[in-house]
Amino acid sequence: MLLDASSFQVGSEQLDVSWFLLLAAALFVLGAIGVLIRRNPLVMLICIELMLNAVNLTLVAFSRQLNNREGQLFALMTMTVAAAEAVVGLAILVDIFRVRDLEDVDDLSELRG
Amino acid sequence: MSLVALLILLFPAAGAVFLGVINWRGSRLVNAVVGPGVVWAAFVCVLILLANNVNQDFTYWTWIRSGSFEVPFDILIDHLSLFMCLVVTGVGGLIVTYAVGYMEHETDGSYARFFCYMDLFVLSMLILVLAGNTVFLIVGWAAVGLSSYLLIGFYYWRRSAVIAARKAFVMNVIGDIGMILGAFVLFVSYHQVTYLKLFPALPHSADATTELAAFLLLVGGVAKSAQLPLHTWLPDAMEGPTPVSALIHAATMVTAGVYLVARFHPLYDVTVYAHAAVAIIGAVSALFAASIALVQTDIKRVLAYSTMSQIGYMFLAVGVGAYSAGLFHLLSHAFFKALLFMAAGNVIHALHDDQDMRHYGGLWNDMRRSSVTFLVGSLSLAGIIPFVGFFSKENVLGEAFSRGDTLGYAVWLIGFVTAVLTGFYTGRMWWFAFWRPASEERPVAGHLHEAPLVMLVPVAILAVLTTIGGFLQVKAIGGWALVDDFLQPVLGAERIRTQPLEYLATLLTLVLAALAFGAAYNFWIRGTWSPADWRARYAWGARLLEHKYYFDELYDWVFVRPLGRLAALTDREDRSLIDTGAVDVGTYTERGAGTLSLTQTGFLRSYVLVFVAGAVIAAGLVLWRALA
Amino acid sequence: MGPATLVFWIATLVALGGGLGVVLFKEPIRNVLSLVVVMLSLAVLFLLLSAQFVFAVQVIVYAGAVMVLFLFVILLLGPVREQGTVRLPWQIFISAVVIAAFAGFLVAMLRGVTYRTPGPADPLFGSVQAIGAGLFTDYLFPFELTSILLLVAAIGAIYLSRGAR
Repeated sequence: MLLDASSFQVGSEQLDVSWFLLLAAALFVLGAIGVLIRRNPLVMLICIELMLNAVNLTLVAFSRQLNNREGQLFALMTMTVAAAEAVVGLAILVDIFRVRDLEDVDDLSELRG
Repeated sequence: MSLVALLILLFPAAGAVFLGVINWRGSRLVNAVVGPGVVWAAFVCVLILLANNVNQDFTYWTWIRSGSFEVPFDILIDHLSLFMCLVVTGVGGLIVTYAVGYMEHETDGSYARFFCYMDLFVLSMLILVLAGNTVFLIVGWAAVGLSSYLLIGFYYWRRSAVIAARKAFVMNVIGDIGMILGAFVLFVSYHQVTYLKLFPALPHSADATTELAAFLLLVGGVAKSAQLPLHTWLPDAMEGPTPVSALIHAATMVTAGVYLVARFHPLYDVTVYAHAAVAIIGAVSALFAASIALVQTDIKRVLAYSTMSQIGYMFLAVGVGAYSAGLFHLLSHAFFKALLFMAAGNVIHALHDDQDMRHYGGLWNDMRRSSVTFLVGSLSLAGIIPFVGFFSKENVLGEAFSRGDTLGYAVWLIGFVTAVLTGFYTGRMWWFAFWRPASEERPVAGHLHEAPLVMLVPVAILAVLTTIGGFLQVKAIGGWALVDDFLQPVLGAERIRTQPLEYLATLLTLVLAALAFGAAYNFWIRGTWSPADWRARYAWGARLLEHKYYFDELYDWVFVRPLGRLAALTDREDRSLIDTGAVDVGTYTERGAGTLSLTQTGFLRSYVLVFVAGAVIAAGLVLWRALA
Repeated sequence: MGPATLVFWIATLVALGGGLGVVLFKEPIRNVLSLVVVMLSLAVLFLLLSAQFVFAVQVIVYAGAVMVLFLFVILLLGPVREQGTVRLPWQIFISAVVIAAFAGFLVAMLRGVTYRTPGPADPLFGSVQAIGAGLFTDYLFPFELTSILLLVAAIGAIYLSRGAR
């Protein structure tokens, strides 16, 4: 059968995890670029989510490579932390927007030394 | 019984806490009952222990445990500590009772504070004598120093009292250091702190360790007992209220050194030099103090120097190995010196706190009761038969005389001269202050109020004890020796046997002391000899004595002023070096912080950039390590 | 090229496109939707890696719930575009240098390791049973800690976004 579950996975053919890692690296770098150059705080948060997802991919890929469930468990924890981070970050954003009209994260520099 | 033993400490402790914390602004009557009451309760406990003939080391719990070092919380009840407890709680109880009347003019707060300090003092003293190990002994030793500081400085609004208290404290701390070092030497050498284990561990002949330990302990004893050269605090300590003088400087605290030597007699028995040093220090201090007492005009200072002199006798006794003779003199001194101080206190009280004998006179007529008791104390101090002072002093001198070696004869001779001097200055005090017609400078011209009953009764009890107490031990004229027998289980049998010649020496001392007492009559009452002429004839001697052999000046010149100059110097250097340095540190930190704060731009993206750059550098380092 | 490889390449290309979208779109709504695309393609990759449970969580919780939260916020705040003057003119250049170095390090790191193709996975690997057993036995304590973290985040969010001060 062409599409049974066991053939539709890494290990059934010559597909090693290095490609997954390369993809994760590319996504992580993209996310980092976004955080560094975008000025919309919301987009910065989204880019952070992207980076976290790249990390998750790495974890799961290594989990498969090493045949070890801990990587997946850790990926789940990361998702939880990412959710918490998104919630608090968005709440802060909403709070700031309530007080002022924000169009640039660089506007928020009251805490300079 | 172990509870009763502990109660001896708990009663005064509870009293001090009650007076100082709970009821310090409460009822004055309650304070006047609780203050002396707890001391009497402790006295009853001591009597119970005595009646049951308890002789035991009570260990309550382990106080400190660190490796092989173990300090138990234990109370050693034996005949020596019971003897001391009897003196401390018995005479102390009389004195605290007396204070109920003496301190009546104080405000309520001061009244409670006074009894709190008094109970604290009794507690400290009881810890000192009941301690079953050296660590506990040090605790009591230091606590006695603290509570005497508090009591001497009781009139804290008086500058001289504060200075006197400080002086006493410093001198006592010098002693404490010697004491602690001595205990440390004993522990390091024999690995024991408990007396009952320490004493059997001592060697049987003198070596450097035992001599060192004995000398260091002696430093503690000398400071607490106001012997040469650490005596200067005692006369100044007369700034305290008179019951304090009676309690601390006559009955209990200053005898701690004698107790210490007696308690450590297994140590002093094996040492040679340290033991002889005890006798020599005692003899010299006795003579030294008696000579100063000849010219003092403040009645309490005369008594203070006579205290120092009598403690010298006790040191002399324990120094020649006659421990029970020394302790008998301790008991006798506690009786008659407390009596003298309290009788003098009655007079001082009646004369509105004037202590200058030149303003006295006429007291025999105006204050007959106090005068009679003072006379009893004076005769006892002078060593007139049959008062207790005669028996105990002659016992001491007899033991020294019958020792039969150079040291024995030397200290006997000094003691003999001192006894004659004692007779003279006691006579001077009596005739000059009490017998002669009233001075024109007397602060209260008319009739004097005799002291109230609460002050007279303790004095009367002590007068009775002074009169009959000598019959406890009439060894000096050949007879029984109850104190020796009582203390024999702890101190061992008296090693010195009396010789016939001793009775002759005793008689000689008695006669000469009595003559000296009488001679004072010729000086100050009949005017056969004029004190002024004698003063003019021996002007340099009088000046030497009035300046107390220039000890205070010497200490001022050798210690106080160089230290003051050093302090001034370090203060100046402190300002220019340390302060400036500290200020500079602050200035540069502030400036550096100002510079660094420029990096805090407030731009979130800058922070992110720095963060990412840091992460990149860290990743680079990891990679480099992995590839290298 | 078998079916798994084919699927992998399709998912990879979609993910990379989505990633570029996240960074480059000017409208926040498009950024969020690009991220959803990335997440879904990553979910496919998880499945390829036999991580069934993570796949499910990725789709339901991440793409479903968290992204919806973002959308709600955008809805609430309205479209916000980046405008105004750029106050950090050097940011973009320094970032380029740093990112280039970072990418270089990552590639160097990945090149330095040799990978073997793993053998066929155990049927239970990555299943709900395996993950659940892990979460409730060996990793119970961290699991409980994450629950506390979520609670704290929820309380914080409520506190921050409550109405009148």
